[in-house]
Amino acid sequence: MIEHLELFFKAVFIDNMVFAVFLGMCSYLAVSKKVATAVGLGAAVIFVLAITVPLNWLLDQYLLQPGALSWLGSEYADYDLGFLSFIMFIATIATMVQLVEIVVEKFSPSLYNSLGIFLPLIAVNCAILGGSLFMQSREIETLGLAVNYGISSGIGWFLAILAIAAIREKIRYSNVPAPLRGLGITFIITGLMGIGFLSFGGMLTGGDEEEKPASEPTVKVEQIKSEDNAKKLADNTKNVE
Amino acid sequence: MGLLSKKDAKLITDPLADNNPITIQVLGICSALAITADLKASLVMGVAVLFVMGVGNVVISLMRNIIPSKIRIIVQLIVVASLVIIVDQVLKAYAFELSKTLSVFIGLIITNCIIMGRFEAFALANGPYRSFLDGIGNALGYAVILVIVGIFRELLGAGTLMGYPVLGDPIEKTGVFSIGYENNGFMLMPPMALIIVGLIIWVQRSRNKDLIED
Amino acid sequence: MAVNTDKNSYTILFAIAMVVIVGSLLAFTASSLKPQIKENERMEKQQNILYALGVNENEGTGDIVFVSTKEVADKFSTNVSEQLVLESKDGKIISKMTRQEFIDSKDEGKGKEPYLIDVKKQQARAKKGESRFLPLFVGQQDGKTVYIAPIRGKGLWDAIWGFVALDENMVVKGTFFDHAAETPGLGSNIKQRYFMDDFYGERLLTEAGVFKGIAVAKGNNDPKNERKEDHAVDALAGATITGDGISAMIRKDLKLYMPFFQNLNIKTN
Repeated sequence: MIEHLELFFKAVFIDNMVFAVFLGMCSYLAVSKKVATAVGLGAAVIFVLAITVPLNWLLDQYLLQPGALSWLGSEYADYDLGFLSFIMFIATIATMVQLVEIVVEKFSPSLYNSLGIFLPLIAVNCAILGGSLFMQSREIETLGLAVNYGISSGIGWFLAILAIAAIREKIRYSNVPAPLRGLGITFIITGLMGIGFLSFGGMLTGGDEEEKPASEPTVKVEQIKSEDNAKKLADNTKNVE
Repeated sequence: MGLLSKKDAKLITDPLADNNPITIQVLGICSALAITADLKASLVMGVAVLFVMGVGNVVISLMRNIIPSKIRIIVQLIVVASLVIIVDQVLKAYAFELSKTLSVFIGLIITNCIIMGRFEAFALANGPYRSFLDGIGNALGYAVILVIVGIFRELLGAGTLMGYPVLGDPIEKTGVFSIGYENNGFMLMPPMALIIVGLIIWVQRSRNKDLIED
Repeated sequence: MAVNTDKNSYTILFAIAMVVIVGSLLAFTASSLKPQIKENERMEKQQNILYALGVNENEGTGDIVFVSTKEVADKFSTNVSEQLVLESKDGKIISKMTRQEFIDSKDEGKGKEPYLIDVKKQQARAKKGESRFLPLFVGQQDGKTVYIAPIRGKGLWDAIWGFVALDENMVVKGTFFDHAAETPGLGSNIKQRYFMDDFYGERLLTEAGVFKGIAVAKGNNDPKNERKEDHAVDALAGATITGDGISAMIRKDLKLYMPFFQNLNIKTN
């Protein structure tokens, strides 16, 4: 449970898709003029991420990783199809996006019209592929965590586009220099928000799975200092032999 | 431009300024943020995108009448992805050093929405020759912004250009560093790329009032 | 052309044709180029190991220059005097093999040159609770024996890996780092000479002999890296996650070799 919570907070705030790793910027900038459309696109991104990340996790576990084919029989255990991961991931994503496009067109033509060219572009929204690649490179361990990661990084993206859309609606009433109006000021505000999000960078690192081994040796040093040096050292050597 | 008719020439010159893919069409932003921390990477990315856009636009344009519209996105993505992967494999076999430099960019090229955006908006509706010009023009417009941002970030952030120190050595305090100048490490962070692109938009739209949004 | 591209049957046929064409094209290039690619990768590994040992063509303070691909096989066999393989389980070393023993063995995963051992596969084995092979390359540097170990971890986007040369007290005598896809200009700078050179002389063990590793630290206040006892080198600006990845892989992978070095010292004392 605690690992799910940790992953959630990391994906939403610390590794926020938009502000921390700057993925999915194109649709973020282009579809954030109104809160209503931003919500629509944000929901679509959450949905697509929630489906593609677990799907690609299964692909990665049972097809792509070195030795992943061992469920076919031991003679397949040595195959490494890692070079296919890009094309497999992207094919999964494109299929899902096309599916979403067909469904949205059928049930909500108004949303379909306002998303326009950007619905197909979710397929190349690097936040989506980025989600799958991060899932792969961070070696997420269970399907449950993969689902969690997909949803929470989607929520992170959703929050970002919602925030900028709200700011853009308000800023229309401000006296921005004419050439900066619209896109220009959005770029600069996003940059400033990104700087703000940098401050999340230091959070939660203490509980990071990678950081644990670091704290172990430090504790050991203190023990040795406080107790009999030579005896401890001798014990240490014995243990590792 | 004797070779090109006026209409065709516009396909190349338009994206350089008035219809720039990054500052006007808002395509290909992610990569512009990710790799512009130094100039060399910006140039490599520009050339790679030029190649993929040129070839990809022609391939899609040739296939435009036979692609079923329901699965066009998948087809487009697979064309780009296999193109990039095949080139990568060939380079790995015959130009290993070059492939090491390029391997970093593969993911960024495949997901670059500038490529998909031009497929959708142009190549699916136009002939191969015009699509080729459109691809080249947009890739050049993209590269121009990349290079400008790259120059600013590398010069102000690390004091170098293409890896060569131009402002002196920050540790030995030579050149401008001797009078108290310091590198602004913040320029290397991605948020600064956003702000620089924002400033470029400001300059561009001050010079051409037609582009101003209301 | 008067094809009705909206018909379902056409869509399905098109999809099948596409999969067959693209699939066979990819499979064909991958399999026909495989020997050439394998050979290039083999030479690269040798070049990397030699680089960590200090055998390179570096000039001045510029970029890293490997020994040329023509010479690499010769130089590798003359400079790397022995390749050991340690078998490790739960942090303990359970057996030790020479190169010949490893090549002659018919057991699963053995029977090849030790430098071709895939660290990624070994890490996966260790994760499943099986034993893993730890290759160790022995060479000479300035008349002293140094041991080179491979390490592997993850950066921001993808894998990072490297080789670290250590003397018998686990003091770093050379490093090589590489990456699959770190951000150009930021994380990718781990492959720059100034970053690798920083590690020279850093210690992995504390004075008390406990394994501590080397942190890639911000605010180290030591940009010229003159303090060699602080277990830290100066971080790269804008590459926090890649830097953390380097610290983590040094800590995790090199710790496994510690029992070997301790035995070494007991013998020489």
